[in-house]
Amino acid sequence: MSETIPITIDGVEVQAKPGQTILEAADAAGIYIPRLCYQKDLVPFGACRVCTVLVNGRPQPACTQPVAPEMVIDNSSEKVQTYRRNIIEMLFVEGNHFCMFCEKSGNCELQALAYRFGITAPKYPFLFPKREVDASHPDIFVDHNRCILCARCVRASRDVDGKNVFGFVGRGPHKKVAVNADANLGGTDAAATDKALDICPVGALMRKRVGYAVPVGQRDYDTKPIGSDIETSKAK
Amino acid sequence: MKRIAIEPVTRVEGHGKVTILLDAQNRVKQARLHIVEFRGFERFIQGRLFWEVPVIVQRLCGICPVSHHLAGAKAMDQIVGGENLTPTAEKVRRLMHYGQTLQSHALHFFHLCSPDLLFGFDADPAIRNVIGVAAKYPELAVQGVMLRKYGQEIIKVTAGKKIHGTGAIPGGVNKNVSIAERDALLKDLDQNVTWARSALKLAKDYTVEHLETLAPFGSFDSNHLSLVRADGAMDLYHGNLKAIDAAGKAIFDQVDYQNYLDYIAEEVRPWSYMKFPFIKSLGPENGWYRVGPLARLNTAKFIDTPEAEAARKEFVAVTDGKPNNITMAYHWARLIELLHSVEKIKELLHDPDLQGTDLVVKGERRNEGIGLIEAPRGTLFHHYKVNENDQITMANLIVSTTNNNEPMNRAVQRVAADHISGKPEVTEGLLNHVEVAIRAYDPCLSCATHALGKMPLVVELVDCEGKLVDRRAKG
Amino acid sequence: MAKPKVATTSLAGCFGCHMSILDIDERILKLVELVDFDKSPINDIKKFTGRCAVGLIEGGCANEENVEVLREFRKHCDVLIAVGECAIMGDIPAMRNMVPLKECLDEAYLNGPSVYNPSGQVPNDPEIPLLLNKVYPINEVVKIDYFLPGCPPSADTIWQALTALLGGKPVELPYELIKYD
Repeated sequence: MSETIPITIDGVEVQAKPGQTILEAADAAGIYIPRLCYQKDLVPFGACRVCTVLVNGRPQPACTQPVAPEMVIDNSSEKVQTYRRNIIEMLFVEGNHFCMFCEKSGNCELQALAYRFGITAPKYPFLFPKREVDASHPDIFVDHNRCILCARCVRASRDVDGKNVFGFVGRGPHKKVAVNADANLGGTDAAATDKALDICPVGALMRKRVGYAVPVGQRDYDTKPIGSDIETSKAK
Repeated sequence: MKRIAIEPVTRVEGHGKVTILLDAQNRVKQARLHIVEFRGFERFIQGRLFWEVPVIVQRLCGICPVSHHLAGAKAMDQIVGGENLTPTAEKVRRLMHYGQTLQSHALHFFHLCSPDLLFGFDADPAIRNVIGVAAKYPELAVQGVMLRKYGQEIIKVTAGKKIHGTGAIPGGVNKNVSIAERDALLKDLDQNVTWARSALKLAKDYTVEHLETLAPFGSFDSNHLSLVRADGAMDLYHGNLKAIDAAGKAIFDQVDYQNYLDYIAEEVRPWSYMKFPFIKSLGPENGWYRVGPLARLNTAKFIDTPEAEAARKEFVAVTDGKPNNITMAYHWARLIELLHSVEKIKELLHDPDLQGTDLVVKGERRNEGIGLIEAPRGTLFHHYKVNENDQITMANLIVSTTNNNEPMNRAVQRVAADHISGKPEVTEGLLNHVEVAIRAYDPCLSCATHALGKMPLVVELVDCEGKLVDRRAKG
Repeated sequence: MAKPKVATTSLAGCFGCHMSILDIDERILKLVELVDFDKSPINDIKKFTGRCAVGLIEGGCANEENVEVLREFRKHCDVLIAVGECAIMGDIPAMRNMVPLKECLDEAYLNGPSVYNPSGQVPNDPEIPLLLNKVYPINEVVKIDYFLPGCPPSADTIWQALTALLGGKPVELPYELIKYD
């Protein structure tokens, strides 16, 4: 039995390992597939669909789809990029993303993806939903205005921190992250040292009183696009 | 009655509108400056986290965002118990503030006002603008552009961006000034000192030469208010409140601004979104006052930089040491401050504390913070309350231009009475006279609209039956 | 050949985008060679004098007058550019979209700690325009041709877009010039 599984991504032949997802195989090969809910240390979830690729012509989430022999994967056609761009734009209008004063700005993965896609303005109308800020915990806060329901905090708290602080309630537009307490975050055993606090891609789950510590110009995505670390590994 | 509206007021920062009511003989019955925009900052900032305040509130205004950024930060310093900043933090913030005073004063004088002074109040409106200045006096226009640019570069170094940066954080700053950044700024310093001197000379010579006509123009006696240093010196970043009357007598002096509510209130009038502040002991009728460069030159005992101090002495000599109540003297006063800012920038750039690495201090947590600063246009008040969850529960903002609301209205009334009343025809040039008086205050109507709204300047003439006779608009 | 005309306005914005236009610094002298300015707050042209090639719009729509001015710009300009986040998504003024307008007015004119208002009146005069129930991004009111993101967009972003457009080239912004803050 062969040790590797040959697949092609955008015409490039990639030797994937058995059990890898398409996204993991691409990362190892230095090919960046855009992603938002995926996080290396967490169980894949397939929530955001930003990593959608065409596998033999059919749309599939690269973060959950295992590789199989002879897969022909499209990661860059206009069709695929349009799917992704639309998803990113919808995420912006569904919440209240005020980048101009958000302390995550410059380090935010949602914003960085939009930059990478060259989005100057979403084409959909802004919904301006009324959402809450839960600052009841002494050291951390949740700003639901910025939450994109990626479930990273849900998975990290459950699987890494072993606490199960976060979960989803509601459906459709009413879906939101809830906390495992009678009232609010202050009633949970969440702590600023939790893994859950490290992995929010946006400014929704944050540590208190550290905002804007990094000057403009020195933040993660001020000068280099998201994914460029994966792509540089390919160049080596 | 006829109604004239100047709408919008142009070559000011923001949107304003003037209405003038005339009787059948074209005599002015009423003249008002309206602020026609409202935003609602005081309410919608409630619930936000306190460290976001300096970054959010600077977006009240894109012209002097640093003033709001720093006044907000000064209030937040108190929330984290960090108002005794490290030398590095205080000096980086001061550098940012003097950079912005330089850019704002340069913008106001060269880009917005110089056309009136160079071409005349009733010159052809087609050339009466900065582009007209660039065509006729290219060297002067370049100086204005470059002085402003230098101020903006300083802001970029200290705040990360030229407009709406993030440099000041509760209890300090997020960066120092590196040797490389300092050296890049030092390279252009001397040139900017030279330009600042010549700009001041221009404003001074203009004022002195035309003193006879300028002295009464839109002028009136008033009280004056500003922050001053403990020794009475002008200080644009920090100090205590001082108010004097038109003759120079102190109304109060060295008042800790934490107690501002004991001294200042704001009257609401239904015809403007901008409130009318007054000194409480004197009441709304008599307690109104002026702020900004003119007020600061009147309240300060001295200026602690040599060239600006020499210029101040010349300035006060014109009124024999008494307070100067001439509206058009704002320009001269403003340019003295511009030179003072450049002198301060020079002092600071040579201070090794700028390269320090001790950036933030924290102490005892509090739930209320009040930050005042002398913004380019005058005293700026920021006042917040924060709950135990770190969220804002109350915000009160009295911005510089709001402080000058009554004075600007008085200036409009005076010019309308002197230059429009009884004239058979109200020309564009005459209406520009009204705007010239408003511009002297360098009103930032953007700031002033933080409450909710916007102000274009419209002048409308309405006859006795309320029928619109004539309408002139700007903007 | 007559130079193309450019008009600018600030609706519900802070003038920061206009300041960023001025941050093109000495390039403004070059810009003046390329275009004539029509209606703009930086000059005294208060009404359109003719057809404009480009209209630069800062700010969203917060009151009836903003809407009127915006429609007038659409009528007189071949190309409309939304400059900055207020025009694109409402920005800070749109934070009031999540709060009832009355609460905003009451806070400013009745409840503030320094308010003196014996009559209890909130400003309401025929001379001041009516506020809209919420703040609208400008492309929800008229068609917008280009968007320059940022709060404000940098001077380089504005310069790049304007010179491309005036030179008949497509407006393409490199990575460094697309920023939302």
